[in-house]
Amino acid sequence: MTAESKSAAKLNPTGLDPVTLEVLRNALPAISDEMSYDLQRTSYNMMIYEIRDYCTALLDTNGALISQNIGGVSHFVADLGVVIRDGIARYGLDGFSPGDVIMHNHQATAGQHLNNVVIYTPVYHENCLVAFAVVRAHWADVGGLSTGFGGTGAYDPWSEGLQVDQLKIYEKGEPDAKILKMIRDNIRYPDAAMGDLRSQLAACRLGERRFCELLDRYSRATVLEVINTIYAETEAKCRAAVADIPDGVYEAEAFVDGARGTMPFEIKVKVTVSGSEMEIDLSGCSSQRDNAGLNSRTYAGAYIAYKALTAPLEPLNEGAFGALKVVIPEGNMMMARFPAFMASWGSALPTVVDTIWRAFAEALPDLIPAAHSGSLGAPFALSGHDPARKAGFVAQSIEAGGWGGRPDRDGEDASMSVCQGDVRNTPIETMELKTPLIVLERALWSDSGGAGKFRGGLGVQTTIKSLVDGRWNAGPPGHRSGYAPWGLRGGKAGVLGYTLIRAPGQDTHELSLSPRVFGQAETEVVYRTSGGGGWGSPLERDPERVLHDVREGYVSAEKARDDYGVVLRADGTAVDSPATLARRAELAREGAH
Amino acid sequence: MMLAKKLPAGGLSVAVDIGGTFTDLVAFDESKGRVFQAKSLTTPNELSQGVWDCLKKAGIALGDAENIVHGSTVAINIAIEEKGAKTALVVTKGTRDVYKIGRQNRPEAYNFSFKRPVPLASRANTFEVDERLSASGEVLKPLSTSEVEDIACAIRNSGAEAVAVCFLHSYVDPAHEIEAGKILRRMLPGVYVSLSHEIVREYREYERTSTTVMNAYIGPKTSEYVGRMQDRLGEDGFSGRFLIMQSSGGVMSPAQAKTLPVAMMESGPVGGVIAAAEVGRRLGIKDVIAFDMGGTTAKTSLIQGSAVSIAQGYHIGGYASGHPVMFPVVDIVEVGAGGGSIAWIDQVGALKLGPQSAGSDPGPISYCRGGTQPTVTDANVVLGRIGAKSFLGGEMPLDEAAARKGILERLCPSLGLSVTEVAHGILKIAIAKMALAVRGVSVQRGFDPRDFALVAMGGGGPPHVLAIARDLNIPKVIIPNLPAHFSALGMLMSDVRHDFVRTHYRPLADFDYAEIQAIFAELAATGGAALDEAGVELEARSVEYFMDLRYVGQEFHLQIPVTADEILHGNSVAIRERFNHVHEHRFDHAAPDEPLELINLRLTARGGRPKINFPKLAANATQAQTGSRPIYLDDPSRPVECPVYRRELLGPGMRLRGPCVIEEFGSTTVLFEGDLITIADTGEIIVEVARS
Repeated sequence: MTAESKSAAKLNPTGLDPVTLEVLRNALPAISDEMSYDLQRTSYNMMIYEIRDYCTALLDTNGALISQNIGGVSHFVADLGVVIRDGIARYGLDGFSPGDVIMHNHQATAGQHLNNVVIYTPVYHENCLVAFAVVRAHWADVGGLSTGFGGTGAYDPWSEGLQVDQLKIYEKGEPDAKILKMIRDNIRYPDAAMGDLRSQLAACRLGERRFCELLDRYSRATVLEVINTIYAETEAKCRAAVADIPDGVYEAEAFVDGARGTMPFEIKVKVTVSGSEMEIDLSGCSSQRDNAGLNSRTYAGAYIAYKALTAPLEPLNEGAFGALKVVIPEGNMMMARFPAFMASWGSALPTVVDTIWRAFAEALPDLIPAAHSGSLGAPFALSGHDPARKAGFVAQSIEAGGWGGRPDRDGEDASMSVCQGDVRNTPIETMELKTPLIVLERALWSDSGGAGKFRGGLGVQTTIKSLVDGRWNAGPPGHRSGYAPWGLRGGKAGVLGYTLIRAPGQDTHELSLSPRVFGQAETEVVYRTSGGGGWGSPLERDPERVLHDVREGYVSAEKARDDYGVVLRADGTAVDSPATLARRAELAREGAH
Repeated sequence: MMLAKKLPAGGLSVAVDIGGTFTDLVAFDESKGRVFQAKSLTTPNELSQGVWDCLKKAGIALGDAENIVHGSTVAINIAIEEKGAKTALVVTKGTRDVYKIGRQNRPEAYNFSFKRPVPLASRANTFEVDERLSASGEVLKPLSTSEVEDIACAIRNSGAEAVAVCFLHSYVDPAHEIEAGKILRRMLPGVYVSLSHEIVREYREYERTSTTVMNAYIGPKTSEYVGRMQDRLGEDGFSGRFLIMQSSGGVMSPAQAKTLPVAMMESGPVGGVIAAAEVGRRLGIKDVIAFDMGGTTAKTSLIQGSAVSIAQGYHIGGYASGHPVMFPVVDIVEVGAGGGSIAWIDQVGALKLGPQSAGSDPGPISYCRGGTQPTVTDANVVLGRIGAKSFLGGEMPLDEAAARKGILERLCPSLGLSVTEVAHGILKIAIAKMALAVRGVSVQRGFDPRDFALVAMGGGGPPHVLAIARDLNIPKVIIPNLPAHFSALGMLMSDVRHDFVRTHYRPLADFDYAEIQAIFAELAATGGAALDEAGVELEARSVEYFMDLRYVGQEFHLQIPVTADEILHGNSVAIRERFNHVHEHRFDHAAPDEPLELINLRLTARGGRPKINFPKLAANATQAQTGSRPIYLDDPSRPVECPVYRRELLGPGMRLRGPCVIEEFGSTTVLFEGDLITIADTGEIIVEVARS
């Protein structure tokens, strides 16, 4: 400690110097962000570098989250603790050594699809275990049916892919060549995977170095004390936000598709607000099922909803959820017992988040938006062999849907779901440069946004044609294909997305329902993603804004008349005011009956 | 490949930089060894007026000037204030909405009130052409001229003042864009036309479209501005060379600026970085980090081997909801810590700094212009680091008592600390934030800041730079001449510079070097034409070659310099080794056995300009100390009586020892116990930083 901070600390009644505190508050998130930057820049698969399906974090020796990057996939929010606590239980804190590297994706604890591979290292400072540096990242393949987005079409964890349960792949700095060979031999793109492993490991090492530099500088005792103070402060901020919500019990429900031909999953949420405490009870949600990959073990749905309601722009640490109680009983779809296959583990989460928000629609009328597309996007993937390059290829992109209208403005068009923050689609030119396909269209899907005083955002319509034979991911966009994004306060629902396919030689596109399809060269697939729900009655929308939407082609003249009661002049350049008044009166009468 | 020879210099060189608040002028008359400086308030309604105000203040007759370099916020203002032209967009069939859809990302992951960028061209004014190339440049569907003519009519009827054209894969073969451009320019006289390949020939359609639309959107007004400047300078007797500052740190001809206004966007902060590189080079210190602190933010940029770092893209209006621009810009990391940054207590009682800033209006409490919230500047005044009586040479006395009162009332009660302890804490937090920014350009890029000297500029640089250097164990600090005018000074030191890119995707193993040579030759020819326009002598020209490479399978590439010799002889081994080395350096790991692939070829054409040479100091005053005052340095409870020196009175070779302060017109350098100061022959203050 320098002379100056000592004298400041002396006078501080809490014993902790507020200046050092603020300096470290900024320094800790900078470490997980730097780890993230490093990983993204050096990774080998699109899921990491474009789609940013990963998280980087530091955890303390209790498995509590010191800091986590914010940016990519939000459904990794604060979900590494369970892996670290499991590792500690397995090895004991004494069972780790400097230079160890542990790999884990086992669903009994990690609770996600097997592609999400956790790599972590114990962090030592002066021979004392002080933290863990952790990177979870989506590998392009982990064997089984896992190629691409996850093991679609699998039926149990073994058919999904390779399971790795807290294995030390390095011990005391020495790589275990046998285990690494075993992994290489059982996955499809071993070069890419080993490249990603190198990047994950390098990011962990970076986290170790940066954290130790802080300990050297501010002393281990000070930093660890500051971390606990930061947890407490973050929790206090969240509590203050919850205290502003009226006490009460709030409920809502929605549905998510089951496997084809089976009952839908029910998403029933009950949220209790009492003072500064919130309990999110998901006991009412369906039980785990053998025939659908939606099983998971995760608090992410509750956490994302809570974080957005409390401190959306604050850094992530263990305190962010200290005042939240999540209830999910064993055997629930989000607390599935092993073995339960989890290929689409995240697909129900956007609906879970939407439903929790919906529960607050009356209590927080100025905040809660109508439903968004509720899916992780149209998961375009095409894989096969490219004869021109004499190599296998995987092309992927996520095409997102619309967001719900908000109490003060329209929903955004074509934006990533609540579970995907800084996730990006893949540029057309990138796909065409690297893989044998052609993108015929990437367009906004007119009239897909729910009508409302504030309109729902539009979904997209993306058409892709293969130039060689290949395996397509051509199922419906996400798992809410039977349940349209709802409107709020009189707003109408968004239009549901779907996927169409046309084999070469066929005249028309057909609805595509099966997630995995083999397609000959020149097969064409059209992905349409849902529009968001509308907010408020469409009859209250300013007619000039409706006119603008029609001019821009977001809304057709027919929809303007039928949903918004806005009649345009024959040339489409202006609102026909008398006809609009009459039409709106007519619609209001119809609505009243 | 730096062949640039310095041309003999002689006459009067003038640089005028229009910033957000002030317009700065620095001029140098080498024949007489005279430096002129002037500052005037920026006049937002008629920006160029600030130029004439400064010329008048400095007493410069335009007829005497040999060249004028100009930097201006005109382009960025148009974009931020959304006052650009009504813009139409012409794209490949099927991609009408690519510009609106963008990348679909939401960087503020948990914020459901997020905002996506608002397009600068409306959907109704976006037109699709039924043409198509494959990624290899094969024509899948030829361009129909009659279709483009129909679109031109529709654009004319829409009243658009500018048109952007971006076709898929036009970076491989721009023939369709060229053809469409010819038709549009012929049929739409007076309408500003931008073609994507004329701006950037790099893949990724959304970012390229966004860049092209931005160029078109700001084009009419920016080129009108540049034209008006040219005319008015001519009318007032200027017959020398007029050059415009670019975001890349180079200058360009007015003709280039009119077709590439997007190159002017971020020219404001880069002058200082160029100057830092040049000052370092002359002092024999080639690795420096430029550190600039203004009213709202601090900026830092790394210079290695006297070369500034360039980023190949950025966002106008911030990453979360701004417009991507795929164009070279000096790589600057910025943090929200400036002199006007406000210190406040958050809901849990924690001391926070920024990002809100009191700016210059109302400004810090001590400015007595209505500011009520304590700022970094107020903390400096309370601690005696900035002299209340000597600020701006005494032209603007500061109210220390008011600053003290503000901190006492607003911050002390919740923190339980004394006024000087809080002031001290504010500065510590500001220093830590700025140190993170310096780490951002160094440690995060694989450089150890201890191998660099820190060059301080801006009014706020010199008071804080020594504390930052100590924080990062940086051993050497340079306070250049005219730190508060450094950006304008840098403009006098800038080369003419043009950057070109061409996507050329293939494995290193399959390189056809004849093909690569041909592309580089074509880029060099385009560069040569641009240097012709800027009037660069042949012997002052140089070319630098780069390849964007990555391991097969990676997405992000590294920009690797290559030599003409390596290209001529097809030396893939040397290129691979350099890539592995840079990857290892930047990311701490490399995979030497993995195959490499090329993404883009890049070329920088440079025209060296006569550099100004600061005269050796004549002053050798025996008595540079003007007084002393108590200053709180390391200990917030006990001030140290520090000598105060006047910078103008410091002579070459003079040596001083901290603690002390050195005051000059626009800034104050604060030195700590043990810092060793030497005055260079050309006036720079060189500090050997004491270890903390």
